[in-house]
Amino acid sequence: MKARMLVLGLLLTGIPVFAHHGGTSLYDMSKVVTTQATVTDFQWTNPHVEIGLDAKDASGKVKHWILEANSPPVMVNKGWNRKSLSAGDVIKVSFNPSQRGGSVGRLIKLTKADGTELGGSSISESGDK
Amino acid sequence: MKNRSYAPIAALIALGLAGTLSGCSANKPANLASQAPDLSGVWLGKAVQSLSMSDPMAQKPGEEGDIPYTAWGLAKLKGERPATGPHQTFENTTDPALRYADPDGYPRASIHPMRFKIVQTPDYVYQLWEYNKSWRQIALNKPHSQVPDISWFGESVGHWEGDALVVDSVGFKDASWLDPIGHPHTEDLHMVERIRRTDPNTLVFHFTFDDPKAYSKPWDGELTFKLKPDGVMTETIYTISDELGFRQRFLHEKPGIPIRATQ
Repeated sequence: MKARMLVLGLLLTGIPVFAHHGGTSLYDMSKVVTTQATVTDFQWTNPHVEIGLDAKDASGKVKHWILEANSPPVMVNKGWNRKSLSAGDVIKVSFNPSQRGGSVGRLIKLTKADGTELGGSSISESGDK
Repeated sequence: MKNRSYAPIAALIALGLAGTLSGCSANKPANLASQAPDLSGVWLGKAVQSLSMSDPMAQKPGEEGDIPYTAWGLAKLKGERPATGPHQTFENTTDPALRYADPDGYPRASIHPMRFKIVQTPDYVYQLWEYNKSWRQIALNKPHSQVPDISWFGESVGHWEGDALVVDSVGFKDASWLDPIGHPHTEDLHMVERIRRTDPNTLVFHFTFDDPKAYSKPWDGELTFKLKPDGVMTETIYTISDELGFRQRFLHEKPGIPIRATQ
């Protein structure tokens, strides 16, 4: 896997449409990390669905991340189910990293090897996507 | 809860019941359900953060302009630390539903960005929420209890007025917030709802909140829901062990008690 990590300065304005876990008090909403990664773990759990993944950083060193998505019912509304991901899946993923560094983040979206795109944590006004 | 007269409410309900039954044969029980508008179905609402109709995303809590706070009510709101809004904090939140995994209570349960189902019978209307598998019942054409219990979801009685189900609720536990931004209430909260299916795919709940300690006069809020024809209801139950596990993995907090693994 030829992984590249891109840190994009995406400045978001206004109040994000999410709360509780995954809010701006935990994540740096001004940064988006986009990278190729290999899924190591997929937990269909409460309070939020979690994805473990390995991704290479700019120096080529593999770093392990845990990303949170949203609650299972919200993810169902967005087309997910408990078998949407499996360990070993290679994905392209975008997420907001933690405010305090470390290896956790908030999922924005991901694309599977077959081209399937799955939305992440945010909820639109309709509550669906 | 202070003593409060429900006589006018009981009279209103009696009038509603009399009106409903007036066209029925004395020998044939009224099929109240068949005469009533159909509210049943699975519904999903907008992802609002506040019941303020002028500030649904809670960008200026306390200064919305359409919520008539008392000094006590405003101080209570300002003293909370919600996990949403302009000064949100998750780690140090005072949100009882997050800090203690307390029930959302009502109407906050309907603000969660998850589905609920309405089941309608001749005598009761039930709301069943995905989140925490919680539920509420609205007793039709019945008076309130003489001494309503104090509970997370309150005591609700209702009757039909044309196409609207009018619901009168009292007996709310004051530990809950009305919405995610933290609008407070006391055990004296008296809430009246008008629930209407404005088109086949849309359900509107119009609220009037009367709570003299928190608000200087009654104020209105509204929530709109869209039908989800697939009927899917997904379980999500938020537990202390889930929260401790999340905080351990994402905040690297050491749990005070042993926690089980996820799933």
